[in-house]
Amino acid sequence: MVLSEFAGVSMPDWIDALLRIIFIVALMTIMAFALIYLERKILARFQARVGPTRTGPIGTLQSIADALKLITKEDVRPITADRWAFELAPYMAFVPVFLVFVPMPFTETWFIRDLNLGLLFVFGVLGLNIVGVVMAAWGSDNKYALLGGVRAAAQAISYEIPMLLIVVAVVMVAAGRLAVDGDASAAGSINSIVGDQTTTPYILLQPLGFFIFIIGMLAELHRPPFDMPIAESEVVGGYFVEYSGMRWGMFFLAEYTALFLLVVLASSLFLGGWNWPFGADVGLGLQIVLTFVKTSVLIVLVIGSRALFPRLRIDQLMAFSWKVLLPFAIIQVIANGIILAYGGADWVVGLVSFGLLAALGGLVYYIMRRKQGEGARTVQTTPATPRVITAPEVTPVEAGGD
Amino acid sequence: MEDGVTATQVVFWILAVVMLISAIGVVTAGNIVYAALFFIASLAGVAGIYLILTVEFIALVQLLIYGSAVVILILFALMLTRARERPQALFGRSRPLGIAASLGLLAALIGGIVATTWTTPESSAAIQPVGLQAIGDAIFTIWIVPFIIVGVLLSIALDGAIMLASPDEDDN
Repeated sequence: MVLSEFAGVSMPDWIDALLRIIFIVALMTIMAFALIYLERKILARFQARVGPTRTGPIGTLQSIADALKLITKEDVRPITADRWAFELAPYMAFVPVFLVFVPMPFTETWFIRDLNLGLLFVFGVLGLNIVGVVMAAWGSDNKYALLGGVRAAAQAISYEIPMLLIVVAVVMVAAGRLAVDGDASAAGSINSIVGDQTTTPYILLQPLGFFIFIIGMLAELHRPPFDMPIAESEVVGGYFVEYSGMRWGMFFLAEYTALFLLVVLASSLFLGGWNWPFGADVGLGLQIVLTFVKTSVLIVLVIGSRALFPRLRIDQLMAFSWKVLLPFAIIQVIANGIILAYGGADWVVGLVSFGLLAALGGLVYYIMRRKQGEGARTVQTTPATPRVITAPEVTPVEAGGD
Repeated sequence: MEDGVTATQVVFWILAVVMLISAIGVVTAGNIVYAALFFIASLAGVAGIYLILTVEFIALVQLLIYGSAVVILILFALMLTRARERPQALFGRSRPLGIAASLGLLAALIGGIVATTWTTPESSAAIQPVGLQAIGDAIFTIWIVPFIIVGVLLSIALDGAIMLASPDEDDN
């Protein structure tokens, strides 16, 4: 909370905060350049191409060239667009994502603030991002943008719930383990969750949690196979279709920043962040390398999924979240509660979670096989009528239930 | 007064002005989407006030819940009204009723504020921030029955929504 830093104001604090903000924005810009370059290169490899090669050594300056092009481009606003919503939307999408930086632990001591409610802060602030998306979608006065925005809203809200629930399950495990050392109330702080993973990364304790978190992350980021909100072949880019120049660049930057931050969060929660496997004593130099390696692995996973999986339909996406992920997340929370309340050992927690993950995999496989069989039987007789689940059908849940 | 208190006051007044302007915006904006956007600005101001009061948990929950809720509100506004095609009629025949209801609420709130005896702590250091664990303990021990009742209520609302939204039959 930057605000409470300002509350105890004295000039050095101001300068301190300002410096941190500048540092973050600069770091994230460079990071986004690197991520875009990597994405193009990795994706090219998956598709048996070589990717950018012309600008700079092996194409490394391509992102910078693109950025220069973006900056010099004209900033166009459609004449029928709503002025305020259109112009403010990129900021509304951009600022919350950058605030999420505050509690992210890159090493044991490298973070802006170690918030006791760090996890809640991440999701509370990141959720505001979608307001900017809807503003852009509505303000553009473009049917494709509106379709994309409505899809994005429905998707973000449905996947937020299993994701939050599974984080609750992780916090329960962390609280149980931290209680041994005496302070269970620190379990909401990301840094103390990482601090607890010296010997056991939580992916061993909560494999189902890792799985649901990664899926929810892909959906929140509008990454394939969950990229219906921005699918070029369906809604020609979605909510930012009318944007150009630097405003479009801001959406892009927000998207890659969110990717980076959620990947750091996933590596902190499940892969032991800076801690596992060497412990806290190895010094900051190696800790940052550990964080870097883990986030890189996850980033390659995320980018690779773009090349490996076909896009889902919007009704499949909704059904997967509400009928599969949400029940399993709830079962995981209840199971953790029962096991921890009766003092179950760590391996029991891990085994139950792994069993649930296997059950989830089996269920999805069974459903897919059955659907395939049905499709093969009915394809000649009746034309397929996909049952499209639109936003209002799921929205009352969030409005009243969250 | 020492420096820190003044800074808090400055932040409070900024937030208060933002909240008031956007609250007025909610009711005066002719466009229903604008009203929803003003609404979230106002709620964000309330979250800021919670931060000043050092109840970070409530501030974050405020953002988490209302952030999504306002998006839903905008979606409803887009789907159920014709926000783009004609300006919304803000004042209908029920205007006197609305005035009466809001004046009644105002009177009740002012009455409540005046009637309460507010305890003033000696200094800001005497205020103990309420920990997350204390909130959790209170909800899940003392107030567990209301908590369960609210949960059941929300489940019923959820089931009702599904019943209303689901197509008649034949595919399940």
